[in-house]
Amino acid sequence: MAIIRTFDLTKKFGEFTAVDHLNLSIEEGEIFGLLGPNGAGKTTTLLMLTTVIKPTEGTAYVGEYDITKEPDKARRLVGMAFQEPKLMWVMTPWDVLNWHAKVCGLSSSERKQRVKWALTELGLWEDRHKSVHTFSGGMRKRVEVAKILIQRPKIAIVDEPTTQIDIVGKHRIWNMIRALRDEGSTIILATNELYEADILSDRVAIMHRGKLLVCDSPKKLKDSIVGGDLIELVLEKEAAENTVEELKKIEKVVDVLAIKPNHLRIYLNHAEEVLPQITELFMKARLPIRSIRMSEPSLDDVFAHYTGLTIEEAEKQ
Amino acid sequence: MFLHYKFVLILRALWFLAQIALFGLIVNRMVKEEVQVVTGGNYFYFYAAGIVVTLLYSMTVFIGYDIYEEADHGVTEYLLSLPVSRRELVLGRAIGGGLRSFLYVAPLMFVVLLLIGITDPFRILIALTALFLFAFGVAGMSITLAMSIKSHDRFDILLGVLNAFIVRLSTTMYPVAFMPPQYAAMAQFNPLTFAADIFRWGAGLEAVLLTSPFVSVFGIVVFFSVFTFLGIVFYEKRLEGGGWR
Ligand SMILES: Nc1ncnc2c1ncn2[C@@H]1O[C@H](COP(=O)(O)OP(=O)(O)O)[C@@H](O)[C@H]1O
Ligand SMILES: [Mg+2]
Repeated sequence: MAIIRTFDLTKKFGEFTAVDHLNLSIEEGEIFGLLGPNGAGKTTTLLMLTTVIKPTEGTAYVGEYDITKEPDKARRLVGMAFQEPKLMWVMTPWDVLNWHAKVCGLSSSERKQRVKWALTELGLWEDRHKSVHTFSGGMRKRVEVAKILIQRPKIAIVDEPTTQIDIVGKHRIWNMIRALRDEGSTIILATNELYEADILSDRVAIMHRGKLLVCDSPKKLKDSIVGGDLIELVLEKEAAENTVEELKKIEKVVDVLAIKPNHLRIYLNHAEEVLPQITELFMKARLPIRSIRMSEPSLDDVFAHYTGLTIEEAEKQ
Repeated sequence: MFLHYKFVLILRALWFLAQIALFGLIVNRMVKEEVQVVTGGNYFYFYAAGIVVTLLYSMTVFIGYDIYEEADHGVTEYLLSLPVSRRELVLGRAIGGGLRSFLYVAPLMFVVLLLIGITDPFRILIALTALFLFAFGVAGMSITLAMSIKSHDRFDILLGVLNAFIVRLSTTMYPVAFMPPQYAAMAQFNPLTFAADIFRWGAGLEAVLLTSPFVSVFGIVVFFSVFTFLGIVFYEKRLEGGGWR
């Protein structure tokens, strides 16, 4: 059953449309990924769902509540760990988390126990009475994520929860997010990290420039990319236009994307059979190959399929 | 942030000391017999009671600056995402802000009460309760102003001007008997007058008060209610549109 549905959800800042007629349906109990480059409109979408900002057009239902009509009720179902840690006037992680838990209505015994648990699990217990102002970005981020792990809201929103956190820390947080889901929360995860979206999400919505491109399970999205295989080629020189055209004519090659003039990504079937043909083509064109790599499509390829850009390129724009 | 507050606190206490021990004592020597009579026999006590209310006002108004600081640090978004209604949020802020400054000023209130001499504890209790509500009202007013004025600098200047008028057009520093009638007419609607009068009444000063204690308490309750309500309305209007940036 859908716990969140958005109907043409739109947010404009002046003339600029940050979120553009978004239609999503998020199932109860799933981990729902919102993947897109910086500026895609993920955070703006989440802020509307938490009733922090109002939509310019359209609406969303959180549980049974329309966010534009019953924001006070909708808000009670949701908790959010922000992209930029929000830690001001209370100074130590211990105070920040206790205050948060208190406002969220946890009893004092529950509060003590959960705050201790979260600080310990996230490796912050030793530093619990230090000022958050002395903390690194990664440590602040962990305090921010801890809020949601303690609150255990019906709908838990995490906005880029592992940026600036080392790989061990990332895995720990991913496991804690999974555990939160197993205890009954629905999770919305906004991220620009392909791997994070891929391994954590039951379903992923890919956004670009405020619009929804596609939404499905990571596996189905990747399978939907024509050609089950992928070859990445880096050349010593720039590939000429006609070489790319010839490449496309090879049977079983489905598509060719030039990430850079000398860096090609080839989508195809039965890569191992076609590879000799491809190398031969470049030899004939007198284009030495610097490196060659075979892999399977990732969510980046899904993004590229719809936009003609990799997520990294889209972020540069 | 707390450091920040400690600093303000110490400076305010010094300010208070200067007002009482210098200004109050010196002016007291200047004032004539007729002033002493309408201020309950001792202008110095009258003045000390007034200045403590002024201090409570200026400490409480400080919460408006928190609103800007929160916006600068993006904490506003966090507060708005918490699972509480807007009404609970504003009420919580006003009560929290009022309580904080009340507790800060409480020791100085006791100093003044001891100075004057405690006569009727029951009256004092009523007066303190009213001042407590007064502080909520001031916090609500400050939040409302902070919400309705986008620029931090303008808020700062406005508070300065407001401060000059609201303090001088009240009975905090001088008895109503010496005010021109037009000023006295305005002073009788001033929440600072209500607060100063009720505090003097509570302290048992036999001063000639502008209002009766019932009117003072009523005025404070109205003041408190109006600004809490306005605070909620402005929070709703401004913040949910994302207009705090
Ligand atoms: N308050 C605002 N005023 C103006 N533009 C904004 C505001 N908030 C976000 N934007 C713009 O909206 C776009 C989407 O931003 P955001 O939702 O933060 O994207 P994401 O989270 O996917 O990186 C960006 O171009 C950003 O600059
Ligand atoms: Mg974002």
